[in-house]
Amino acid sequence: MVLAAADGTGTALTAEATPAATGPMAALTGRLRGSRRRPPRVTPSRSGRKTRRAGWLMVAPTIAHIGLWTLIPVIATFALSLTDYSVFDAPAWIGLDNYIEIINDPAFRKATWNTIVYTFWTVPVSMAIAVVIAVMLNQKLRLQNWYRAAFFLPQVTATVAIAMVWLWMFNPQTGLVNGILAVVGIPGQAWLVDPEWALWAVILVGVWQGIGMKMLIYIAALQNIDENLYEAASLDGASAVRKFFAITLPMLKPATFFVFVISIIGAFQVFDQVYVLTDGGPANATTMMTYEVYRAAFQDFRMGLACAQSVLLFAFLLVMTLISRRATRGDEE
Amino acid sequence: MSTSTPAMAATSAPDLPPSRPSASNRRDRRARDRRRFATRSLLNLFLLVGAFTMIVPFLWMIFTSLKSPAELALFPPTFWPQEWRWENYPEALAAAPFHIYFRNSFIIAFSHTAITLVFASMAGYALARIPFRGREWIFMGIVAMLMIPTYSKIVPQFLIVRFMPLFGGNDILGQGGTGWLNSWWALIIPGGLSASAIFLFRQFYLSLPKELEEAARLDGLGEYRIFAQIYTPLVKPALATVGLLTFQDSWNNFLWPLLVTTSDNLRVIQVGLAVFQQLEGTAWGYLMAGTTLATVPMVLLFLFCQKYFVQGFANAGIK
Repeated sequence: MVLAAADGTGTALTAEATPAATGPMAALTGRLRGSRRRPPRVTPSRSGRKTRRAGWLMVAPTIAHIGLWTLIPVIATFALSLTDYSVFDAPAWIGLDNYIEIINDPAFRKATWNTIVYTFWTVPVSMAIAVVIAVMLNQKLRLQNWYRAAFFLPQVTATVAIAMVWLWMFNPQTGLVNGILAVVGIPGQAWLVDPEWALWAVILVGVWQGIGMKMLIYIAALQNIDENLYEAASLDGASAVRKFFAITLPMLKPATFFVFVISIIGAFQVFDQVYVLTDGGPANATTMMTYEVYRAAFQDFRMGLACAQSVLLFAFLLVMTLISRRATRGDEE
Repeated sequence: MSTSTPAMAATSAPDLPPSRPSASNRRDRRARDRRRFATRSLLNLFLLVGAFTMIVPFLWMIFTSLKSPAELALFPPTFWPQEWRWENYPEALAAAPFHIYFRNSFIIAFSHTAITLVFASMAGYALARIPFRGREWIFMGIVAMLMIPTYSKIVPQFLIVRFMPLFGGNDILGQGGTGWLNSWWALIIPGGLSASAIFLFRQFYLSLPKELEEAARLDGLGEYRIFAQIYTPLVKPALATVGLLTFQDSWNNFLWPLLVTTSDNLRVIQVGLAVFQQLEGTAWGYLMAGTTLATVPMVLLFLFCQKYFVQGFANAGIK
């Protein structure tokens, strides 16, 4: 997206501006036209075959690695989802029984619901905060690098480590959250132990951690907006609010779709903070789809069942991505 | 904070373009300057409060790691430590081998970074600049792999590790032993390369001019030397970006090391923290000392290399 331009070190990188349509954003939104560009054709001479062989040799280790650790596992996930497999015995074919069991399993239904609620709240809320902060940081303030660092810091640090800090802050007896509430005169809660509140606590941590990356993508996108648009609007006497809604937000639409898709993919896979904060409890109040996969596979050793659950998770994500992709495409034409 | 932000930004945001001096009247301009100053102050105030809110957990972590157990039992809690108890750190290290966890995390993150920089850059280069049959297919395949969520492959990945033939007492069919479980292999090899790194490298190499390779070929350089000596020195910023993102991802990874290791000697710092918390749930001072050790390297790395992180995340965006 901004790769070539933001680099600005005067190297050849800037020689050919990478068009916006070649980032992963394009991959997600299905606009890979630019990336399919053919490389410079070598004159088909003596060097031809040597060159081709060099190309193959250079991608070979990568193909082997991705084949073994991504392609085969994905296929195996689908295959194993149709079996009963405990690691200790050979897998036994049971057709769709795993799927039937999952659909009737109240814990997995609860997990699906929790994942949807978690995604429904964390993604839009952190996106709204992120776009506002990004617009503010685009004002060329003197301290902007420090502000940006502060908002981004939760993204760089390990979720487990930082969830540990929140676990301590949510502590009902001596935690900071209840401490602050006590100062204001609001009675504290047993945040992570109370089924009413636990999911909200997890969501709060998710929002807090999710702002940084979305903000960065928005900042990059804001820099591509033509300033003339704002000047023209100013001449027409448009107010600041009007300009935000009439120019900034519409111009950020592609970035918004990109952020939306990757945020949903991220939110659906929330795991680390649940593991640390609540262990899925109390009474499954915060269990997630990923958490059920983990439990089935690595606590109950029901690999087939876990695979079926992850196939469902994958299906959810695929549908979401396709919907967003269609939305972007429709937008383009 | 979330409640008050939108209104604020809406009023100040589209102040973006520098106001035109077309307004000839000087008084007019002074009034506008004053308004700009007010807007900026308000913006700064707002961002300051927001930024502070974001880093409170980090401050809380550091301050907690320096408080005495007696102080930690107070309610309402003190923010600033009454006395700075530095002994928490050596005592935490005595309670759990955080230095070993730290070392393990470092070895793994370093190995992942090295593997990625060598192999992903090579693949990215070939996919961008060397015409060979099947290249488009391979590239589309890598893009597809980019979208595979972790949880759609983790179970078979674990099984491959478990049944790795001829390792950990396994026979040629992968039976009888524990394979790569509890070994450096499991920690380093599967996570060594990622589709996103290859994708990023390809984009970087694609943005370079082709005249260089033509000239190099005329000079009789082979493909490997063109890659290593001509093009790669030109993508140093890309190497830094991908390297840092890989290191960070690896350092912060939790689920995979949790699954494939059980021994204390191979435990990484994130898993070490979780285990310590489960065993000694109430020793918050020690736990926060360990957490500080787990986060500080990334925070420092980020603050010193902010530029590359920002570029990488703005582009890759996929975590």
